[in-house]
Amino acid sequence: MRISTSMMHQNSVNLMLKRQAEMAKTQEEVASGLRVQKPSDDPAAAVLIQRLQQQQAAANQYDENIGAVTSRLEMDEQAMADAESVLQRVIELGIQANSSALSVSDKQSIATELDSLRQQLLDVANRKDANGEYLFSGYASNVQPFVRQSGGAVSYAGDQAARNVQIGATQYVADGDSGQSVFMAVPEGNGLFALQANNTNTGAGVISGAVSDSAAWVPDDYTLSFTSATAWEVRDSGGTLVTSGTYEDGVAIEFNGVSVTVTGAPAAGDQFVVAQSRTESIFDTLDAMIAAVRSVSSTDAQAAAFQNDLSAVMTQLDQAETHILNVRAGIGARVSMLESVSASLDSDITQTETRISELRDADYTESVSKLSQQYIGLQAAQQSYSKISQLSLFNYL
Amino acid sequence: MSNMLSTGVSGLLAMQTALDTTSHNIANASTTGYSRQGVVFDEAQPEFASVGWIGNGVNVTSVRRFYDDLVSSQVRTASSSMNQWEVYASFSDQINNLFSSSSTGLSTSLQDLADAFQGVANSPTSSSERQVLLSKAQLLVSRLQSYDSRLDQLDTQVNTQLSGEAQTISGLADSIANINAQIAAASARSGTTPNDLLDERDRYLDELATHVNISTVKQDDGQVNVFIGSGQSLVLGASAADLKSVADPYDPTRVSLALQNGSGAALDVSNLLSGGTLGGLLSFRDEVLDPAHNRLGQIAVATATLINDQQAEGLDQYGSLGSDMFSLGDVQVQENGANTGSATVTATRSDGAAITTDDYVLSYTASGWTMKSLQTGVTSALSGAGTAASPLVGEGLSLVVSGSASVGDSFLVKPTSGAVDGMSLLLNDPALVAAAAPIIGEADADNTGSAMISQGVVTDAGNASLLTTVTIEFLSATTYTTDGGATTNTYTSGQSISLNGWSVTLTGQPATGDVFTVSSNSSGSGDNRNALLMANLLDQDYLNGGTTSVNDALGNWVADLGVKSNSANANYEAQSAVYDDASSALQSVSGVNLDEEAANLVRYQQAYAAMAKVISTSNELFNTLLDAFN
Repeated sequence: MRISTSMMHQNSVNLMLKRQAEMAKTQEEVASGLRVQKPSDDPAAAVLIQRLQQQQAAANQYDENIGAVTSRLEMDEQAMADAESVLQRVIELGIQANSSALSVSDKQSIATELDSLRQQLLDVANRKDANGEYLFSGYASNVQPFVRQSGGAVSYAGDQAARNVQIGATQYVADGDSGQSVFMAVPEGNGLFALQANNTNTGAGVISGAVSDSAAWVPDDYTLSFTSATAWEVRDSGGTLVTSGTYEDGVAIEFNGVSVTVTGAPAAGDQFVVAQSRTESIFDTLDAMIAAVRSVSSTDAQAAAFQNDLSAVMTQLDQAETHILNVRAGIGARVSMLESVSASLDSDITQTETRISELRDADYTESVSKLSQQYIGLQAAQQSYSKISQLSLFNYL
Repeated sequence: MSNMLSTGVSGLLAMQTALDTTSHNIANASTTGYSRQGVVFDEAQPEFASVGWIGNGVNVTSVRRFYDDLVSSQVRTASSSMNQWEVYASFSDQINNLFSSSSTGLSTSLQDLADAFQGVANSPTSSSERQVLLSKAQLLVSRLQSYDSRLDQLDTQVNTQLSGEAQTISGLADSIANINAQIAAASARSGTTPNDLLDERDRYLDELATHVNISTVKQDDGQVNVFIGSGQSLVLGASAADLKSVADPYDPTRVSLALQNGSGAALDVSNLLSGGTLGGLLSFRDEVLDPAHNRLGQIAVATATLINDQQAEGLDQYGSLGSDMFSLGDVQVQENGANTGSATVTATRSDGAAITTDDYVLSYTASGWTMKSLQTGVTSALSGAGTAASPLVGEGLSLVVSGSASVGDSFLVKPTSGAVDGMSLLLNDPALVAAAAPIIGEADADNTGSAMISQGVVTDAGNASLLTTVTIEFLSATTYTTDGGATTNTYTSGQSISLNGWSVTLTGQPATGDVFTVSSNSSGSGDNRNALLMANLLDQDYLNGGTTSVNDALGNWVADLGVKSNSANANYEAQSAVYDDASSALQSVSGVNLDEEAANLVRYQQAYAAMAKVISTSNELFNTLLDAFN
């Protein structure tokens, strides 16, 4: 093919320009360390990188959320531990108070200690987290959850909700428990029924009881009445007679899967209630205990009333302790779940980072060898041009 | 002997012409568009003598121009394509770079907003987290707007360049028409074509081909007719048409191109022109820039609508249902300048999820209103009459016509392109972030059954009784009433109860007399349910018939931009290779090779010397003859 002189020059120059442009691109790759700098460099990879970066940002956020939840749950757990030690001391005091050898002043001092323990428990229940939010008031976290009313009873002002925090694309975890479920909703009695002596009883009967057949239990409030000192009857809430019999001290009265035993000397008209278990607040239990310890028990009837009250309270305290332990176990389970989620998130984040780097980052070995190849190519083009461009027939004329 | 002298003189003159031409070639070796010339020698008419025909020397019949029309038209086509892709690629790269940085990219802003919602969800009572959320929301608005204004700048730039291109093309057309006239005159005068004028005209044609794709037809008189678009004549002989930039019939700020031929009406050729820098600008505007405006708008509309709707389903810290977080620019409706009726159209977005990235032409026909996508030409389904009571509804829009339209009137409806420009953050009080859900389901403390109630979700935030307390009371383990009403409903575990715009789920075994309440959550300042929902909105399938999330839409768009820019660059590379090949082929025919010219110089010089020798020999012969008589 015939070559024109200007084309020969132009082609050489174009080739050198092209080489330079390629080299500039490779140099940019080496200098920035990035293979994909803008979407057009590799559209498919660019979109994948963007997705992965979003995933990673979300994972980091979840990790952060886990940190926040964990610290809140730890405060929750500490509160539960403190509540538990308060309850243990209360139970100890209950056992002490049960001794018949106690003087009135001994009982007084126990009552005083119980008072301060009740206050301690109230303080625990009204604890705040680092943000100044109440731990145990549900969504109403700016409302003090437990407030002592004028009558002395503690009421709950929060709601029943527990806040969820997102720890994964579809995974949520509660960052606490509502005060309702922790302090207010302790199952009554043994969980099936609770025993209570009527406070107008004149006799000295003391009641105790247990479940004999939970399958036969028909939930209702039953009244065990003594029609005389020796005869009793059990009626349900509708007044229907369930069973009746003759009283013998210490002999179990059984109906609907329940076995209750009355000891001592009940009087005619005395009543005991076998109520289906509802829920009771721990504060109410403590109030009842303090009232019982403060009560005077000079007569047999009063002593029996004290016995009945205290044993109901002690059963209830056991329930409360178990309840708090359950709550605490639930928190512990959540914390350990968070640890494992966090560990897997961390490894996800590392993997995502590796994947992003694979997609986006330049392979230095490859880029540098490409650069040196291009360098040699450009050099060769320049050298050959400078030689060839000198050739002209005019030089010899 | 006189024959010998005249033969010598003819050779001498011929070699002078050849040397002139060679020098002309050498002088123009570096002139762009120069086609080398060469003399065509011919033997002179012989004379008859008794011995036969005797040669009479040499004639120069013409000075030839080395050129190939076929290859040169290939060069022009390749040059049109190459220039088109070059402009397209360089503009696309600009948009591409806009979205390339991971720290300034839009996806980062969206993710930041989602993270800020998570922050509020972690501690809903913290006003600093809420403040962070509002600043991230403001940042998103600013970022969207900075992209939008960058796109606006590109738009202005493209419009300005289009006007410039139109002027350049008209100017070149004028020049070509002028030279056509000169060539015709010169050819008529001399009977041969003026080579250097042809070169000049080809230079103009080459230049024109870099601006727009052309086709040429050569006339017998040497003139060339030039056509653009789908056969519209730009130059006919000595007269040139005028390519003008005019305002778009719908949008006066948008440049359209019209071809004015003589005194006739101007013809809109915007959709007909292709190739060259002009074609590159037009296709970039149609394929990248306009869609970019609309897609950015769609992302803004979807994000704002999703968050505003969710705000409305939540409760702010003042205990009121949330108000809108973002406002958006209105749907743009542009009236065709040629409309004869008095109708005006106002459009609002009625369904954020159904908003598309297309623009629509709403036309009034004899059978009523029809709407067609400007991009795809597909007719949209429209319902309603167009009155305020029964607006035209379609493509997520609600259109109200006032005044009376004439048949043939049309309007351009742009659902998304103005959305970002008018976008703003409406909330400035952190307490107004509706992080809480408006209702809460609770069980009565005295319940003896094991049934539990969910906290409830909002299904219709507009229900007037949403915040009214409702009690659900169980008459037995399997029946319940709501609010003590007369209707007895049957209960099965896990069923949901919907009322007053909310829905709760009851699970487990209720006992007779158990009571549940659903009430206003106005004290729930620590509730984060709505914030959690908002944190996940941008990943929720929403657009394109509920198949694409906002994040996906953005990802798809960035991919699309990348692919367009990438293929534009690849096309540019390919076309420049084609151009280089064609140019080489043309150069190989018409380019000057200095070595060749040097050889010619030597050859003609020697021939000249030889001719001179012939003359001197003839002189000597004559002298010899004279001497014989002395």
